Amino acid sequence: MPDRRVILRMHAVTKVYGAGDAAVTALDNVDFQAQAGEVVVIMGPSGAGKTTVLTIAGALLRPTAGRIEVAGVDTTGLAEKELPAVRRGSVGFIFQSFNLLESLTALENVRLVISGDTATARSATNRARELLSMLGLAHRLKSLPKQLSGGEKQRVAIARALANNPDLILADEPTANLDSKRGREVMHLLRQIAIELDKAVVIVSHDHRIREVAHRVVWLEDGRFRSDVVTARDTVCGQVVEVEAAPMTSFNGQAFYFCAEQCLKLFEANPHRYAGTPG
Amino acid sequence: MRVLLIARKNLFSERTRLAISVGGIALSVFLITFLLSLFRGWNEKVGGFVENVDADIWIAREGTTDFLAAGSFLPVEGVDERLSRIDEVERWSPLIVRPMTASKDGTKMDVQLVGYDPVSAIGGPVRIEEGKGVPGPGEVIVDEGLSRRYGVDIGDSIGAGGRDWRVVGKSSGGDFVASQTIFITFDQAEEALQMEGLATFLLLQVTRPSRAGLVAGMIGNADPAIVTMTGDEFAASTRDRALGDVIPILTVILILAFIVGLAVAGLTIYTATVEKAREYGILKAVGFTNGYLYRVVFEQSLVTGLLGFLLGAGLTVVLGPFTQQLVPQFVILVRWQDVLGMAGFTLLMTLLAAYVPTRRLAAIDPVAVFKG
Repeated sequence: MPDRRVILRMHAVTKVYGAGDAAVTALDNVDFQAQAGEVVVIMGPSGAGKTTVLTIAGALLRPTAGRIEVAGVDTTGLAEKELPAVRRGSVGFIFQSFNLLESLTALENVRLVISGDTATARSATNRARELLSMLGLAHRLKSLPKQLSGGEKQRVAIARALANNPDLILADEPTANLDSKRGREVMHLLRQIAIELDKAVVIVSHDHRIREVAHRVVWLEDGRFRSDVVTARDTVCGQVVEVEAAPMTSFNGQAFYFCAEQCLKLFEANPHRYAGTPG
Repeated sequence: MRVLLIARKNLFSERTRLAISVGGIALSVFLITFLLSLFRGWNEKVGGFVENVDADIWIAREGTTDFLAAGSFLPVEGVDERLSRIDEVERWSPLIVRPMTASKDGTKMDVQLVGYDPVSAIGGPVRIEEGKGVPGPGEVIVDEGLSRRYGVDIGDSIGAGGRDWRVVGKSSGGDFVASQTIFITFDQAEEALQMEGLATFLLLQVTRPSRAGLVAGMIGNADPAIVTMTGDEFAASTRDRALGDVIPILTVILILAFIVGLAVAGLTIYTATVEKAREYGILKAVGFTNGYLYRVVFEQSLVTGLLGFLLGAGLTVVLGPFTQQLVPQFVILVRWQDVLGMAGFTLLMTLLAAYVPTRRLAAIDPVAVFKG
């Protein structure tokens, strides 16, 4: 990938929750960056600090130490009341559970984020319509979230994330609530957005399939990024696991790794099913 | 100012809740406006007659406070001579007033029997609506309030003060709500009530009404056995006598109505805010400020308040006259100042109702929306 402008830069970021004996270090002196046109996937076990990275990068949470720059703005130096403007203008969020406003139509969900109190209603509506059409939802503009499928809801959420043309898109488990077909569609959509719209897309996910669309995959564990990690897919639940630390078994001369003992037991009970061999 | 889209959608997507909220405020507004209008109506009626009597000063026996419970006896003899010494007294007239129970075909009626001098006409009927303007011997003019309430009509006979009187006219302006005036001449009253040479009140007109207070004080100071009041003072005193005990009760009811409205609006708006807490968290996460969210809640509250106010005030205006027809004692007087004041109270109610939910909004952590 050619040299591109850096959209997200996290330098020596530490986040500690609680204090004293109860203190938990979620991020420990982490450096991370994402460039325009790039899809970076952050993977790691539950509790590794993935969501903390996203919320700190998205100016929702302040780090205990370190510095964060979003689209050239040092968000750690901003006052609390200045952060909403950064979130609204420079960051687009995509959530696992879509998080659309239930009483608003697809068009209104997107328009709301654009217009707020400043843009004229007409220009906001046109922009929202254009985005939804681009994502294949021209026929669903007036549908309420409850009338949309999971994939459609996530596409509305993506349109909302793009509404104010932010440089950085942060996606938290964007495929977790979708079937494999819809999940794959969303993944490719995110890659397309990064490349064609020149956005930095940072995705937190357990879903191994999402690696297909990533320009980079980074592994986060115990609050630190690790570059020497060998990973494998848990064939039972689909999670990506670190080979070194995962429960393991062999079958037909091949090694299989699991996220937990539970998945290992399920595999052992019916290895043909999970190994994809005729049983 | 346009109502924010999200405020509008939140309100109208939960119609049952909106109906409860608007209904609660409307009930509160209706109750307050209706009771206030009822009070205004009574106030107007009770003091209205005394205010409309063409007298600048009322003189009564010491201890007399008002028109309704007048146990005053003043000798008429010598009054002419004494008042003639005061230059500023233009003329005077005696008035007999006796609260009593009259009857018509066995129906008991609370009345104020008024005996007035038909020559001066001071203290007589305020307006003649029908029939004769001055009663003759054995004749009486009744207030139309009595006519409405008991069906007394011209040509009927009513018993009062041990005699029967033939109704020859109907007047207005003499309705005290709980009782109504009936008018006979002073001579007839003297005779019927065995008050020869006595009057309940002496009514004075002065050359300069602006100095009525000074003249009243002068007369009162000269004779410790009497009490003097200006027309306005006597009207106020009569109102106080009739409604003084009602005001504290009314105040409590008004406060309760306000609290009921506030509680209903507050609870429904609070519940709506709590239910939408996640959505408010989403809005915070995607960059909306607390100020924007406060505005959303305040606007929901204000729209609810406006709808409740319009419904409640409208009900008062529509139902007021209808109620008055059904129950004559319900004298409703809707004043625009009261309606305006009620709009202010509704605004206060809605602002208070939105205050607690906005505190809740401030505490919502947007990071929570990342949890599935």
